[in-house]
Amino acid sequence: MGDLLTTAEYKAIAATLELPQNAFIDGSFRPAISGKSFTTVNPATGAALAEIAACGAEDVDLAVSKARESFDDGRWSRLHPAARKEVLLRLAKLIERNSRELAVMESLDSGKTIFDCETVDVPETVHVLKWHAELIDKIYDQVAPASDDHIAMILREPVGVVGLVLPWNFPLLMLAWKIGPALAAGCTVVVKPAAETTLTTLRVAELAVEAGLPRGVLNVVTGSGSEVGEPLGRHPDVDMVSFTGSTATGRRFLHYSADSNLKEVVLELGGKNPCIVLDDAEDLDAVAAHVVNGAFWNMGENCSAASRLIVQKAIKPKLLERVAAHAREWNSGDPLDPSVRVGALVSQAHFEKVSGYLAQAVKSGRIVLGGESHGGTHVAPTVVEVTDRDDRLAREEIFGPILTVIEVARFEEAIAVANDTKYGLAASIFTANGKRALRGARMLRAGTVTVNSFGEGDITTPFGGYKQSGFGGRDNGIHAHDQYTQLKTIWLDLSDHADTALD
Amino acid sequence: MTARMVLEGIYTPLITPLHADGSFDLDSLAALIETLVSAGVHGLISGGSTGENYAQSVDERLALARFTVERVAGRLPVIIGTGAMRTEDSLALAKGAREMGADAILLGTPPYSVPTERENALNALAIDRAADLPVILYNYPGRMGVEMGRDFLDRVGRSRNVIGIKESSGDINRVHLLARDYPHIQMSCGMDDQALEFFAWGARSWICAGSNFLPREHVALYEACAIRGDFDKGRRIMSAMLPLMRVLEQGGKFIQCVKHGVEVTGVSAGPMRPPLKGLNKDEKRALEQVIGVLKTSVAAITEGN
Repeated sequence: MGDLLTTAEYKAIAATLELPQNAFIDGSFRPAISGKSFTTVNPATGAALAEIAACGAEDVDLAVSKARESFDDGRWSRLHPAARKEVLLRLAKLIERNSRELAVMESLDSGKTIFDCETVDVPETVHVLKWHAELIDKIYDQVAPASDDHIAMILREPVGVVGLVLPWNFPLLMLAWKIGPALAAGCTVVVKPAAETTLTTLRVAELAVEAGLPRGVLNVVTGSGSEVGEPLGRHPDVDMVSFTGSTATGRRFLHYSADSNLKEVVLELGGKNPCIVLDDAEDLDAVAAHVVNGAFWNMGENCSAASRLIVQKAIKPKLLERVAAHAREWNSGDPLDPSVRVGALVSQAHFEKVSGYLAQAVKSGRIVLGGESHGGTHVAPTVVEVTDRDDRLAREEIFGPILTVIEVARFEEAIAVANDTKYGLAASIFTANGKRALRGARMLRAGTVTVNSFGEGDITTPFGGYKQSGFGGRDNGIHAHDQYTQLKTIWLDLSDHADTALD
Repeated sequence: MTARMVLEGIYTPLITPLHADGSFDLDSLAALIETLVSAGVHGLISGGSTGENYAQSVDERLALARFTVERVAGRLPVIIGTGAMRTEDSLALAKGAREMGADAILLGTPPYSVPTERENALNALAIDRAADLPVILYNYPGRMGVEMGRDFLDRVGRSRNVIGIKESSGDINRVHLLARDYPHIQMSCGMDDQALEFFAWGARSWICAGSNFLPREHVALYEACAIRGDFDKGRRIMSAMLPLMRVLEQGGKFIQCVKHGVEVTGVSAGPMRPPLKGLNKDEKRALEQVIGVLKTSVAAITEGN
């Protein structure tokens, strides 16, 4: 990624983009069979961007049948692993080559800042795909211990046709998190991007064919959850669904599976992630920078956002002062302005949901910073202190730039408050005491715990949740491949049966 | 949500009635339009090959199309053919179609140049952009020299406007391909002697030159197959129509027959523009006989219902 451009230059690129509008099935763009469409808008301006195919069950049927056909004939699933690797590496390269276009497209469609799109989303997408591609011919199968007369092989085989249902907060990156390991494993996929953010998924599908991915292996069906997500979840010929999104929708996918063919379901769901700062934490300024990044990065539209700050009483005033100072640097504005850190929320509907929480924060909580919304679907970074731990601000996933602060007296209390949630995706703990850091990390019921930092690890480490934050598998890491494969045992009898054979 | 244009029924590619000197006979065109509207066809096409578009200038074609749109006055959808040797002419026709308020365009392959599928697709997308109207593709390899194959169809899928295809290849495998792999492109029968097969594979419309002079009989087949799903009856109607199809599709004088068929209904169709010539006396008589038998047979089948 080169240097960032100016706002004017980004706007010029935006004006010349040819935005995809049709679903992508069997290697080609095609409108919904019904011919219906919906309008995708730029949340920062409210302007219409493109008319997108509003697919339905019949399009899902077609996409699944093409994915099935391409899985069964082995054009991808039985291709030599090294050849699959080459195709995915070429795809990564093509995304890199088109990175500026993709970054601007992503920013326009989602309201994300161009800064994040250029420096995180697109380069990470490339990195993730490369990483999974490189793994393809480096994961070995196993031979189990057995007697001299036997050989027991444990093989990984691709699951089959996989439905990949994406969230709208990281459209490109979540696509890469899922297609990376799924395609690497040899599966064929039907991707359902979020209705709000379909553009970059469609563009990547086009690039995938250019990279040499056989037709039918990667299909994209665009539209709403009820018209596309549900038929995909209920489809009898889909072997597995990997879903990232809300806990409520994740629950529905389990129903769909139970009602249909008991397809495997992997869920990566919501979070209300605690960030514990103990009174012995070093360098509160650095801590505050992590806290602000954890809470407001990507407008707080992040399932692993550190949205609950749990802080010991003694250091609370100092920390909040520094948090406010750092948060003020997170300016809100035009997502295509490369100096802007906080863009627009993804849609009017979501803005209204977050605004509801904001109104309550202003009314009932102690506002430390922010508290207002402005222009389009922008919400200013907001810090609010609550005393009632059952306050919905402290319990519900807001998915917006609202950080809730809860004061605690002791270490044990901090851990108890942190764990007092139905979620368990991520957590962080800040302390200079190594023993308390590790004890805390072990006691926190979350899939990822960071110590003295905020983060999700990286592509090398698995990511996923405890409790109602999901189950069934993990994104990222070698472990991500496991969920797209199933184990097969091949048991070979080598014994000489001459003695027992009937004459 | 915006819904696309749905192709349902019998669409008549209008002939162009001419005076003896080759000029347009607009009074007869108006009369033909009224006849077809009252006979219950479902849409009209101006500037198709049946209308002798290849023998007309762009201005003439636009004038004819404008006349048709105004005369129909919204009672039926009007589709404008944009097929032309020069892309520039197709673009002008496409823009004109939009400006005059046409409902869709019929988009063919430019004849003679034999473009690759990619070239043909890029050409089609340019014409589509100029019109920004629903597009019905027109696959007619017999006259254009190339087919709208998978590569072409995949590429034109970039546009949401592409809603249908008039399939006139005569290759039954194309019907299977379109029905199975391109269900989003509404398949319209463009090969008259295969209408029954098209309906069996789910086509809901038939773009048929014969409906210029036998609209009710064509509507009868559509209603039997597409509306009522009564393929036994459909087969009987089709069987009664096949002698005509043989004359039309296999006789080598397609437009000449259609124009004479219109004459038989009492609307003046006039001569052909060069290089084509009208039917001779024997051919006229043979056609008239086929039409007579067909009308009697189809009437018996439909009344016996």
